[in-house]
Amino acid sequence: MSFDVLFNQFMSGIARGALLFLVASGLSLTFGVLRVLNFAHGSLYMLGAFLTYSIWKYLLIPVVGFYIATILASLIMGGVGLLIEFFLLRRLYSRGWPEQLLATYAIILIITDIVKWGWGGEFLSIPRPKPFTGAVSLFGFPFPSYNFFVILLGLGLVVFLWWLVYKTRLGDIIRAAANDREMVSALGIPIPWLFTWIFVLGALIAGLSGAVAAPFGAIRLGMDVEIIIECFAVVVIGGMGSLPGTLLGSLIVGEVYSFGIMFKPELALAFIFIVMAIVLIIRPWGIFGRPER
Amino acid sequence: METKPAEGKSSLIKRQWWLALLIVVAVLAPFFTSEFYLAILGEALIMSLLALSFNLLFGYMGQLSFGQAAFYGVSGYTVAMLITKAHFNFWLSLVAGVFVASLLGLVIGFFCVRLRGIYFSILTLAFGQLIYFVIYKWHDFTGGDDGIQGVFPPEILQSPIHYYFFILVVFVFAALILWRIVNSPFGYTLKSMRENSERTEFLGINISRYQLIAFVIAAAYGGLAGVLWAPFYRSMAPSSLFWIKSGEPVMAAILGGPSLFFGPIFGMFIMTFFHAWVLGFTVFWAFIMGVLILTVIFLLPGGMLGFAEEKLKERRENRNNVADRRSQIAD
Repeated sequence: MSFDVLFNQFMSGIARGALLFLVASGLSLTFGVLRVLNFAHGSLYMLGAFLTYSIWKYLLIPVVGFYIATILASLIMGGVGLLIEFFLLRRLYSRGWPEQLLATYAIILIITDIVKWGWGGEFLSIPRPKPFTGAVSLFGFPFPSYNFFVILLGLGLVVFLWWLVYKTRLGDIIRAAANDREMVSALGIPIPWLFTWIFVLGALIAGLSGAVAAPFGAIRLGMDVEIIIECFAVVVIGGMGSLPGTLLGSLIVGEVYSFGIMFKPELALAFIFIVMAIVLIIRPWGIFGRPER
Repeated sequence: METKPAEGKSSLIKRQWWLALLIVVAVLAPFFTSEFYLAILGEALIMSLLALSFNLLFGYMGQLSFGQAAFYGVSGYTVAMLITKAHFNFWLSLVAGVFVASLLGLVIGFFCVRLRGIYFSILTLAFGQLIYFVIYKWHDFTGGDDGIQGVFPPEILQSPIHYYFFILVVFVFAALILWRIVNSPFGYTLKSMRENSERTEFLGINISRYQLIAFVIAAAYGGLAGVLWAPFYRSMAPSSLFWIKSGEPVMAAILGGPSLFFGPIFGMFIMTFFHAWVLGFTVFWAFIMGVLILTVIFLLPGGMLGFAEEKLKERRENRNNVADRRSQIAD
């Protein structure tokens, strides 16, 4: 196999990894601080994609329409996150994790039907926005330039989250709360509000990633379940709640998928689960994670 | 509305006559209900086996499996393929289905019992999805997207009523055996592992081995549900292995009450009938189900049966307290 084929495959893997990072970083952030595995994260992502479509279609502004729709949809999803945390999750922190898991599972069911009711079951699509409509030639292979936009956005989110978590006072609190919630609370920091804003940030990132995924392929029911399972693989491989772990996990899953497709298309997803199972067995808390309590 | 039968059912653990009454109702049901509701009843019984399978791990052992549909689906596919492709004997196919599910449980369990809590859930989910994708994509062997049609039971079980009684008999025996298992020393060991795995280990109990045995038993029960389902529905589809299917027993157990043996069965009956009823007037079944789950989690912690039993216990204690005080005053 020649080098250029492999390189092209590698680059698609990076692009896929970037999209996965966009989605999984929100999931991982929420889990790291709240210790709640949000099953509904994929549903927020799906809702974000559908909202982006509707806003884009309503605005019909030629060049910037998609970008405006992306920002608006992300903000709306942040608002949805606020409602979910404030009215539902907040009341469940004192319960066991199985009930929290089931509550987020219930949110999946509810959002699925809201989308079905609001948009119907059809496939929707958004054309790639300017200036990322064309393709770039990489060693003679056409590589969609929109992929570069996604990779850049992924990198931007890495830098932003790194800055937020490691360079700000809020980041200090986030890391401290992930470590010892009670101690942080004893220092006079209102933990409930911290949790709310982290969940809102996670939902906002989910909405953003849904918006970015919209021009990638069809916007449809079921896109939530597809992405959330891959995101579980990402956070499990990298380590739940760890930012560098999520980045590494996204790249691994993206590459495994990309090369898996080249090797045997039907089993591309199976390869991801095999990698995930191996990591879970050797190092259950993931490559960068820390052992649970 | 739901609390009344729940109270009755929770006390049946102590008073056996409720159990007898329920069995009589189940036996007489075909003569009073329409064919439609008989099918729903059969479905509820089959799915209750899956709920029992899940709750052996969750309610007794304390591990939440999000992959029980794998055993259900694989055994169903085994039966469907043996009957339609190999023209195998029906009864032997059923045995083979349960056997294959147990074997799969042994393999998956070998890896899963090393993990605890949410990691156990995610690994079972991953294995479940892995098997789903294999069956979904392996078109030549499993029919892929199309599934397998024409899984007919033998002549004697072709009528809905006969098949219903077949399900009922299998269900009652299976539930009875599981009841014996969870009330045996083995069952108590599982419970002690749930309460405090460290102490249990100090007693010299090999936790992984016990968990693996429980995992295989649960897989066999999931498999039993699958082998009953394939000839009941006359077909198998890959969606029966999807993680949403694995979510059903989770919902049933938490709706009904995972701390009680009959909780998941009760939950599954509520869910199945609710499903049939809701589909009569709206397609937005998932939305209503989601709201129902949230309502139960918030208002009835411990599940419907669990909550009812808790209230019953409180009332009984109150009565005892009052009686105690009275006797004290009398003294």
